[in-house]
Amino acid sequence: MKKRFDFVDVTLRDAHQCLWSTRMTTSMMTPILGAIDRAGYSHINILGGAVFDVCVRYLHENPWARVKLLCERLATPCDALTRGQSLYTFELFPDDVVELNAQVLARLGVKVFTVYDALNDNRNLESSVRAGRAAGMKINCWMTYTLSPVHTDAYYVARARELVGLKADYLCIKDPSGLLTPERGRTLFPAVVKAAGKVPVQLHSHCLSGLAPQVYEVAMQSGFTHGYTASEPLANGASLPATEEIADRALRLGFSVSLNKKALKEVADYFGWLCVREDRPAGKVAAYDPALYRHQIPGGMISNLRSQLAAMKLEHRLPEILEEAEQVRHDLGYPIVVSPFAQYIVTQATLNVVQGERYKTIPNEIRKYAAGYYGKLAAPLSADFLNRIDLKEKELVNIRPGERIAPGLPRLRAELGPSASDEDLLLAAFYDRKLLESLSKPQPEYQYRTTPLAELVAWLGARRDVEYAHIRFAGTEMTFSA
Amino acid sequence: MPARERQLTYEDLVRLVELIKSTSHFSEFRLKVGDIEVSLRRANGAASPRTEMAVPEKHEAVQQSFAPGMHLVRAPMVGTFYRASAPGAAPYVEVGQHVEPDATVGIIEVMKLMNSIEAGARGTVREILVENACAVEHGQVLMVIEPR
Repeated sequence: MKKRFDFVDVTLRDAHQCLWSTRMTTSMMTPILGAIDRAGYSHINILGGAVFDVCVRYLHENPWARVKLLCERLATPCDALTRGQSLYTFELFPDDVVELNAQVLARLGVKVFTVYDALNDNRNLESSVRAGRAAGMKINCWMTYTLSPVHTDAYYVARARELVGLKADYLCIKDPSGLLTPERGRTLFPAVVKAAGKVPVQLHSHCLSGLAPQVYEVAMQSGFTHGYTASEPLANGASLPATEEIADRALRLGFSVSLNKKALKEVADYFGWLCVREDRPAGKVAAYDPALYRHQIPGGMISNLRSQLAAMKLEHRLPEILEEAEQVRHDLGYPIVVSPFAQYIVTQATLNVVQGERYKTIPNEIRKYAAGYYGKLAAPLSADFLNRIDLKEKELVNIRPGERIAPGLPRLRAELGPSASDEDLLLAAFYDRKLLESLSKPQPEYQYRTTPLAELVAWLGARRDVEYAHIRFAGTEMTFSA
Repeated sequence: MPARERQLTYEDLVRLVELIKSTSHFSEFRLKVGDIEVSLRRANGAASPRTEMAVPEKHEAVQQSFAPGMHLVRAPMVGTFYRASAPGAAPYVEVGQHVEPDATVGIIEVMKLMNSIEAGARGTVREILVENACAVEHGQVLMVIEPR
C-alpha cells in the first residue's frame, strides 16, 4: 500500500497573515468555504494570534464569532493555534485564563488545538495541553526551528521527547523564517521522526528562501505525515508552499494524496480574483537570498524597521543595525527570531548603534526575558551582556512562568458580572474595554456562494464613477444605469 | 452529453477587471472579445483622484537654557515619553519631589519596547519639560533635577 501524505490548509490564517497583513475578513472567506471543505484537507487552520488580534483591533470583528461560523460551516476538522501561555498576545496569562480559552475553543467547534512557545520552553505548553485534552480536542505541539550553535538536531530531539511526554497527538516543526534547507532536513527530520515514535510529525515552513518545496519533499521521505500549505495565489514568498505544488511533488515521490483537484482549482480561482478585487498582493516565489541566513530577520520586519528608522531619520544606519542584531542575538542566548523576540533583538541593536555603546539602555522587556520571566533561554547570556545588565538574585525566575501569575478569572467575573459569557470574560482578559466596544457593531450578511458573474456585477455596482454598464455574456445580458 | 453553455470564469473576470481598472481615465469603455461584451460609461472620465502625500510638520528646535549645576535627564533615544507605568496610574515623579539616582522617573517607548528612565542624580525634581505620551528626540531634556 502506498504511503499517504496529508495536507493542512493555511489559506484562511497564515497565508493572509504573511501576504495581506492578516486583513482577510470573514465575508471574504464565506463564499469559498464549500470548495475548501471539498478539497480534501486533513485539517483547516482558522485561528492564530495575529488573526485574533487583527479581528479585534482592525477588522472590528468578534474573533469568537468567526471561529464559530467557520467550525459550523466546515465539515473538515478545524485547527486553532495559540502561543501557549501567551494565547493570542505576547504577555503571559494565568492558568485559569489559558484553561477557559481551551474550553471556549472546543465548545465553538475546534477539533485540533495547536500550541507553541516562542522560546521552545515546553513548560509554557503544559497548561494548554492539559486543558485542551480535557476539553476533547486533539493536541498538536509545535517546536520552532531556528539556526544557532545551540539549536542542533540533538536540541530538537530533546524538545520532541518532551512533547511526546506531554502526550501530544501531533508534533510539528515550524520554520517561521523559512530557514530550513534540504541538507539540514536530511539529518534533522529522521531524528525527530524517530524521537516522535508513533506520534505523526508535520511540517510548517515559510517560503522566504525559496527552498521550502524541496524541504517538504525531504520531510515526506523522512516519514512526516502532514504538510501545511496554502491555495496557490496565497502561497510562496513570506507565505507557505502551494498545496497544488506540494501535492504534485508527493505524487511524483509515490505518495498517495487525497486532494480534489477540481475543488482546489475553484479555491485558487476565487482567491486569485480576491487579490485583484481587494488590491492585495498574491504570493510570489522568493529568490534565494543568503543574507537571510545571517541576521534571520524576516523581510516583513526589515521593511517595518526601515520605515521606523526613516521616521527617526536613521535609515542610513540600517546595515549597521542588522549587523549589530547578530551580536545582540548571540549575547541574549540565541532567542528565535520571531515575535516578540525579533522585536527585542532589533530594538536593542538599534539602541546599541544609536547610542554608540552596547547595552547602555536595556528595555524592560529584555530584562524580564534575561531573568527567565518568559521561560528558559536556549543558551546562557554572554558575559558582556550579564556584566551590563547586572541582574539581581530576586529578579531571577526558575519555575514555570505560568505558576507565578495569580488567577485572573475571579477578578474578571467580579468586574463583568454574572451574565458575562466565557467569551466576553476572555476578551476582557486580553483587551481594554474601549477597544472591545467596536466588536458589537453588526456584521454584514454573509454570502455562502458566489459566481464570477455575480462578482463582476457587485464590483461594478460598488464603483461610484460608473453611471452606465452593459454586459453581454453567452446567454446573459444586463444593463445598469444610474 | 448535453452541450453546456460556457460560464464566465474567474480568469475571465480577473482579465476583464484589470482592463477596466487600467482604463479608469477614459469616460467610455467598450470591449467585445469572443462571446463577452462589456460597455461602461463613467461620470467623470477625468484622471482618478491623486492621493495627496501628507507633509510632516517641521519641529522647530527650541533653544533651552538651564541654570548652572542642574542635572538634566535626557531621552536616550527617539521615542514616546510616559510619566506613569500605565494609563491612569500615578506619575513616577512630580515637581518638587526628592529622588534617588536609581529612581525611575519615566518611561520611553522605543519601537514598542519600554525603557525605564532613571534620575541619574540625587536631588529634587525642579522641572518636567515633556508632557505624558509626547514624542521626544534623542538627547532631548526631559526633566531638570537640582542635585544635593
